[in-house]
Amino acid sequence: MFGKLKSALGSEKKDIKIVAPLDGAVVALSEVADPAFAEEMLGRGIAIRPIAGRVTSPVNGKVTQMFDTGHAITLTSDEGVEILIHIGLDTVNLKGEYFTPLVKTGDAVKVGDGLINFDIEAIKVLGYDTITPVVICNSSDYTQFETHINCVVKIGDEIITLGG
Amino acid sequence: MKELRHIITDELGIHARPAAHLVKRCSAYESEIMIGTPAKMVDAKRIMGVMGLGLKCGEEVTMTFNGPDADQAILDLQAFLKENL
Repeated sequence: MFGKLKSALGSEKKDIKIVAPLDGAVVALSEVADPAFAEEMLGRGIAIRPIAGRVTSPVNGKVTQMFDTGHAITLTSDEGVEILIHIGLDTVNLKGEYFTPLVKTGDAVKVGDGLINFDIEAIKVLGYDTITPVVICNSSDYTQFETHINCVVKIGDEIITLGG
Repeated sequence: MKELRHIITDELGIHARPAAHLVKRCSAYESEIMIGTPAKMVDAKRIMGVMGLGLKCGEEVTMTFNGPDADQAILDLQAFLKENL
């Protein structure tokens, strides 16, 4: 009865699924060696240790910002979820080298569309940690927040479920 | 309303990490705090907006403060900008 009432009032929200934007191993955000991420200052989320240099869209939505340096991107999903994907740590210092943006700010994207390619081997050899935080910047808007960590994922596998 | 201006001297500008620290600092205050340029001001307590400004070295950033603790906030943020950006 309440379920019916809820949907009649339009307040019932469906779970929102965020899928992996990279192939790799999913770990807790607290394992990232940068307090801005590990202490959830940018929002809650997970991190992926990538095994390939390809980032695809985890949602249907829009590119809110392609960073000039190509090392990070923010997206807003059709449901309003704000997502930051940050490739590696301190990689802003590379000033765009080894990163190839495939989309630009304002572009519409679908799940699985290519966003950024990066030369993972070169970036590693230069001494950068390639761990890639995937953060929900407006995670405080959601009461339900589930992460799927400590597993190996392929692009498209579910990593975060949001609700409420 | 109180206002401060600061020219960014950090070579890398306001990228993810400095944006996170700035938002955390602003979130400690009750006042409404906005940041940006005269062309585009955003809520300084929302990370996506602050990153989205893409402010770079040499650009002048404006911050406005409106509320009961605006005086403390403006002094604190002025110190923060000087120290970090």
